[in-house]
Amino acid sequence: MSQRPTTAVFASFAALGLAFGAAGLHAALSGPAQAARMTASARLVGQVGLTDLALFTEARYARHPSMADLHTAFQDNPMSFEHFPAGSFVPLPESLGQGRLGFSEAEVAR
Amino acid sequence: MKRMLRRQRALADYTLAALSRRWGKNLALISVFSLVVFVVASAMLFSAALKREADVVLQSAPELIVQRMVMGRHEMIEADAVAALAPIRGVMRAKGRLWGYFYDASSGANYTFMVPDDPALVPGPGEAIIGEAVPRARGLDWAGAPLFLSRRSGDLVKFAVAKVLSADSALVSADLVLMNEADFRDFFEIGPDVFTDIAVTIRNPREIGTIIAKAEKLLPAARFITRDEISRTYQKLFSWREGLLVALAGAAILAFAIFAAEKASGLSAEEAREIGVLKAIGWDTRDVIAMKLWEGALVSVGAFLIGTVLAYGHVFLLGAALFAPVLKGWSVIYPEFQLAPHIDGLQLSTLFLITVVPYVAATLVPIWRAASADPDRIMR
Amino acid sequence: MIELQSVTKLYNEGRPNEVRALGPVDLTIERDAVTVFKGPSGSGKTTLLSIVGCMARPTEGRVILDGKMVSGLPESFLTEQRRSTFGFVFQRFNLIRGLSVIENVMLPSAPLGEPFAAVQARAADRLARLGLGDKARTPVEYLSGGETQRVAIARALINDAPVLIADEPTANLDTVLTHRFLDSVAELRAEGRTVIITSHDPRIWDADLVNAVVEMQDGQIAGVFA
Repeated sequence: MSQRPTTAVFASFAALGLAFGAAGLHAALSGPAQAARMTASARLVGQVGLTDLALFTEARYARHPSMADLHTAFQDNPMSFEHFPAGSFVPLPESLGQGRLGFSEAEVAR
Repeated sequence: MKRMLRRQRALADYTLAALSRRWGKNLALISVFSLVVFVVASAMLFSAALKREADVVLQSAPELIVQRMVMGRHEMIEADAVAALAPIRGVMRAKGRLWGYFYDASSGANYTFMVPDDPALVPGPGEAIIGEAVPRARGLDWAGAPLFLSRRSGDLVKFAVAKVLSADSALVSADLVLMNEADFRDFFEIGPDVFTDIAVTIRNPREIGTIIAKAEKLLPAARFITRDEISRTYQKLFSWREGLLVALAGAAILAFAIFAAEKASGLSAEEAREIGVLKAIGWDTRDVIAMKLWEGALVSVGAFLIGTVLAYGHVFLLGAALFAPVLKGWSVIYPEFQLAPHIDGLQLSTLFLITVVPYVAATLVPIWRAASADPDRIMR
Repeated sequence: MIELQSVTKLYNEGRPNEVRALGPVDLTIERDAVTVFKGPSGSGKTTLLSIVGCMARPTEGRVILDGKMVSGLPESFLTEQRRSTFGFVFQRFNLIRGLSVIENVMLPSAPLGEPFAAVQARAADRLARLGLGDKARTPVEYLSGGETQRVAIARALINDAPVLIADEPTANLDTVLTHRFLDSVAELRAEGRTVIITSHDPRIWDADLVNAVVEMQDGQIAGVFA
């Protein structure tokens, strides 16, 4: 007699489950090597004195999102990048920082 | 217990036999469903891994950066400021940083020039340490090829490449050209007493607020960027909108929801009749519902597993190849980076719930009435 | 023994289109016998059949199955009662299209949780006895009318129901197939099963093996002939 439909389907599910487990295992096994790699990267960051990822190199003001000028032409918002795609990913800063660019609450209250 | 399992398997058998009658349509449904899960799961895994990487790696960034602002723009800061900051109580060290951008017209790429903070890493005169993407961008990837840079027409500066930084750190270093201070000042033709900005090391991180308050009095025109603010920028980097990816995925989810609702909820007369037959030949309402639960669960759990496994492979084994063009945009230099594989249980559970629950509900709700109707309906 | 006591059935109860499909009727159906409900369409015989077979619950009155009152049972108990007592052959046979013959025959046993191999062997045996052994893997839509009916009978008997209920079983069959159906009924009768049939086909109610004929008219029993 031929097979029941569940035989093949449950077997595929078992295979998918195994693949899923294998992904978890891969993540766990590559953990130490990846941690070492990240530590090496972090050391380089410290040695060079870097502040940002090299993810958006299309424009000079996009390379260092955390150091960006707060004043560049054609921006939708004084603090946003109008450059694609960096501007789609990089959010507006939460605050203007502790610099002199805004009034602190204490100053407003006074 | 055994009887219960056998009952469930028999019901699953029926569901599968019924699904396989329209196998083309159902296969298409599972494929589209898996694709949607794949895109969403890829975006989730990718942004989570990137956030984690940024968080770990940028822990070593300078604790405080002091920049001079002129008309809202970042300007070179005088060496005097370094001397002014150093004596503040709690400041361990204040050091001028030199960094800048160079647009390489021959390759169209933007490089980041920098003088390393650590003397051990500073290259000798006429030498440079470059990031892995620099030779790639110039199409010169044989070992030992020197770096020729032209600042204007008729000008050519040569650097011997002392070292190419490992691709392991590409995410932070891909576009770097490191050189010593004299070469840097010479190349950009800047005077000896200015810096790009100042990196300040602090003894006790909790004193940072006090130190900034004191420094503000000394340097009223400066901007202060703390490491917390840097890391916050990156924590928010992909969670703010999760960018175009999730916007695209959102549209895909919506389209799929319409498709699935139509497919699952449009109970055909044929299907209603079949449920009537099943009830008439001795199936209970619970049996019919359990059978339909199997249908919803097999389709949605299958799509979830296929989608997430493929997403894992895509993000961590293939380097998120589908997202690279989106992140890259107009950039000429794009790091060939690898991300540390990491599975966030909570995130994955959320994805599981938003995949499986709505679909199962969409298959169950429409049959509820048919399943609880009187079995003799089929005879009338 | 199945006993109906002043059973009525209303459809669309309490609404303007309320219909009295049946009753009140009193009826006793003997075990180990072949009973035929005869009458024109709309006479209430199918309604009577679904109440006898625990498919529908009477609006009023009582149904007593082997001394047990079943008309007041909640749905799940009624389903269980029906599963263990009755096998149904429907007028249009109601096989599930796209499934194979043996899959259709095995369907009523799915909720019971019996071992698959046992059910499969039983189904194959039933099919072989009805002369369909070689059609087990054929999708049901490729069967002829007579084969379809025999598959429906095999399905009705898969759980070894002591009572077979057939609604207009010969409505779509020619004389040869009708006689073959009667042969099957005779076999079931010989196995000690009770058979209840509705029909407006004289070939059925005139057959020798029929023990009782219940004549229906306008939802009432017009007469019972033994």
